Amino acid sequence: MSNEIKSIQMPKWGMEMSEGEINAWHVEIGAQINAEDDLVDVETSKIINTVTAAHSGVLRAIVAQPGETHDVGALLGVLASAETSEAEIQAFIDSHKTASADAVAPEPVAAEPVAAPVAAPAPQASNNAALAEGGDDSHIAASPVARRLAADYGVNLNNITGTGRHGRISKADLETAVTAAGGQLIGTNSATPAGPTQHADDSQVKATPVARRMAQELGINLHECRVSGERGRVCKADVEAAAALKNKLPAQSVAVSAAPSSSEAQVISGMRKTIAGRLQSSKQTAPHYRVQIDAELDHLLATRKQINDANSETKISVNDFIIKACASALIRVPAVNVQFDGEQVSYFNNADISVAVAIKDGLITPIISGANNKGLESISHEMRDLSTRAKLNRLKPEEFQGGSFCISNLGMYGIKQFDAIINPPQGAILAVGAGEQRAVVKNGQLAVATVVSLTLSSDHRIIDGAVAAEFMAVLKGFLEQPATMLV
Amino acid sequence: MQHYDLMVVGGGPGGYVAAIRAAQLGFKTALVEKQHLGGVCLNWGCIPTKALLRGADIAQTIKEAEHFGFAIDNLSFDINKLVQHSRSVASKLSGGVAYLMKKNNIKVIDGTATVADKCRLDVSYDGSVTQYRADHIILATGGRARNLPNIKIDGDLVWGAREAMTPSRLPGSLLVIGGGAIGVEFASLYNDLGCDVTLVEAAERIVPAEDAEISQLAEKSFKQRGINVLTNTLVDEVEGAGEQSLASIAGPDGKQQQKFDQVILAVGIRGNIEGLGLENLGVTTENSFIVADPFGKTNLAGLYAIGDVAGAPWLAHKASHEAVICVENIAGVQGVKPLDKRRVPGCTYCRPQIASIGLTEAQAKAAGHSTNTGRFNIGANGKALAINEAEGLVKTVFDSNTGELLGAHMIGPEVTEQIQGFGIAQQLEATEQELSHTIFAHPTVSESMHESVLDSIGLSLHQ
Repeated sequence: MSNEIKSIQMPKWGMEMSEGEINAWHVEIGAQINAEDDLVDVETSKIINTVTAAHSGVLRAIVAQPGETHDVGALLGVLASAETSEAEIQAFIDSHKTASADAVAPEPVAAEPVAAPVAAPAPQASNNAALAEGGDDSHIAASPVARRLAADYGVNLNNITGTGRHGRISKADLETAVTAAGGQLIGTNSATPAGPTQHADDSQVKATPVARRMAQELGINLHECRVSGERGRVCKADVEAAAALKNKLPAQSVAVSAAPSSSEAQVISGMRKTIAGRLQSSKQTAPHYRVQIDAELDHLLATRKQINDANSETKISVNDFIIKACASALIRVPAVNVQFDGEQVSYFNNADISVAVAIKDGLITPIISGANNKGLESISHEMRDLSTRAKLNRLKPEEFQGGSFCISNLGMYGIKQFDAIINPPQGAILAVGAGEQRAVVKNGQLAVATVVSLTLSSDHRIIDGAVAAEFMAVLKGFLEQPATMLV
Repeated sequence: MQHYDLMVVGGGPGGYVAAIRAAQLGFKTALVEKQHLGGVCLNWGCIPTKALLRGADIAQTIKEAEHFGFAIDNLSFDINKLVQHSRSVASKLSGGVAYLMKKNNIKVIDGTATVADKCRLDVSYDGSVTQYRADHIILATGGRARNLPNIKIDGDLVWGAREAMTPSRLPGSLLVIGGGAIGVEFASLYNDLGCDVTLVEAAERIVPAEDAEISQLAEKSFKQRGINVLTNTLVDEVEGAGEQSLASIAGPDGKQQQKFDQVILAVGIRGNIEGLGLENLGVTTENSFIVADPFGKTNLAGLYAIGDVAGAPWLAHKASHEAVICVENIAGVQGVKPLDKRRVPGCTYCRPQIASIGLTEAQAKAAGHSTNTGRFNIGANGKALAINEAEGLVKTVFDSNTGELLGAHMIGPEVTEQIQGFGIAQQLEATEQELSHTIFAHPTVSESMHESVLDSIGLSLHQ
């Protein structure tokens, strides 16, 4: 019997991630898992994310408990068939520990028999080819299930004789034809009970919603169930019968009492820990220096008004302009558009701009990638969507990990100017204050202009003062004459 | 300026549901309401009218009492008590919404909102204006009764729904202008309470949005009860005539003038778009409704519209559903599907009740479907006979090729409670096969649903 044991490991979401904290498991030991099912929430850098199953099977062991922190690649849990013995599971866990201790972790696969029957019957069975031929079959009368199954089998409905009312093709008609052609049926229980289909993905098995949920709770694979429901669906009775055969009782719900809070101190969240660790290391290892410049925004504000007035569907903010201007300036001064890991400098072709967004328990930096190739309108729409989802903790890892430059804007709080700590491995960060009316001297005359103070913090290991200054001058030019970004 | 992630204008079944869903998803949420939480639905529509219609049911029961052997003497009726019951239900539910807002940490702001700019709301209350900023603003300001060019709701001669559900006395004679859902409900209610009711509809049949056979049965039933139903008829004018109103009625048989104690105008709904500042910002509106995409997005950045103000059908459950999909779409929730208007059930609480979902037979044919239609006469249903309400029809329309349930149309006792069965069937894409293999409990009125399905494939057992 094929007792394939699969590991659930701490994933690596992005270059920066070295460890993750287990937040909560979505599933209990004994649960039937399908590929793509949510398994466990891991709090990593910045947000909480969910590890999904790469394989299907029964969750046999949870190695990493909530609250524990584990390295990337560490074993979190074990997926296997229900038949795999506890000893085998334990051996697997032990071997995994050894393997990871050796820093080589080829996934151990227990005794894969060469001559084992095919785990999941391939739907497109040998002789179906003849059934697949033919033209458009969308006009052929067939039940919705038959039509969907035909697509799964790769069968053209022109080749099937329907026996339903008005010659409508039923699921049975389709299956008769497939079997007659020597094909194998999807989701039927062949004569091998508890066979290799044990841990196969059963998401394709037709089942009623009740049956599917019950099977999941009882750890029954739908492949193991007889099919007696309407139109070839596994129904509740089928799952109960399968469960009775395996002598499995419905899972008892266990009341878990919340751990009493015995401490006044609050353990910092994973996000806070990440912010603390990264910024401390940045401040300690990257020699920061700052260059500051003022830019007049009156032209930009006029342009912004012009665009927003002309187009009701966009609301371009000053920050959107700053993102666009930074992107243009980074392309002009590529030495600032970099990441540095302490040894190697990576120069980027496009400006992937991280924008700091304050959220409930910290901050996160969603990225406008390739901002140099995007118009103000798409930057604006993207930024609105990213910041909305950032606040709801709904960003995908790829949406906030990476980036070649960072912008932090505290202008909305009325902050005149400030400086920011570089977001490693990036080389520089721009701190943006509030645009405000100030007295300026123009041609020897006192005048009023809307001015913003910009401060660039750069890592002197890779960006020299003159380069930073050049970047700021170019940026100022773009902001003061936004039309020049068009060139 | 205070800032929220999401602000909702209007506390009806669209607005308050949007606010709850937003708060659940983690938005910092506020809701602006100028009058009563719960909106028209809870305060001046669905719920209080159902409370009144319960009174009509009781009136009907008393009328039938003798048939069942009861003799009732010294019967009296105080309409003020019935109205009181209706109002107390409304205020109880409105309080329930306030609790839900609090529970979900939604800031409720009293006042009238104006969209001042993109992502900006001004809320005026007691003469002072407070400015707010919100990344997303959802307008759920609802609708109100439409006036006719010559006939306007004035609360005196001519009542709208609001006055019609808070009468201080029972009119002797009543003219109801408009034979849609709201008009027929009031016609039915006041007829049951003992008024002499005339119901006027401009189209060729009452409840014109329903399947033609349903309209015919409703009209037949209304006429049997003594309601004067005039179709293909217009009311040109209503003027005061002493204590009464004089209405000029133009029908197929010519013009006539008739006096009524009271007139109710129920000729449709218009959107509440005034005072929202939409004109200044170029928000597209059409025929008093805000134009929005299937997820409620308008043509103004960050502005959304749901419910009645975003157009027909003007139903609370449609507004609530739009609320959820609008907010979830903003939040980037996976798998949000736009509203399928063919799956919005409609219910009319006249006697007998009317309920429907999906396409009428005529609409199905016009859409090119080859149809199988099933009918079952509720007169042959045991439970309906037992409760002495054996009148009605269940009509089911299937696509004869795919077996898809295209539409279901019901008139009869408690059909509004039964239409969900067909709604679920549609949502699960059940065909006539699944429905015919489903066991319906006996004795229930819902057995008529089963028989109608069986009839569509020629397998009817009880007719």
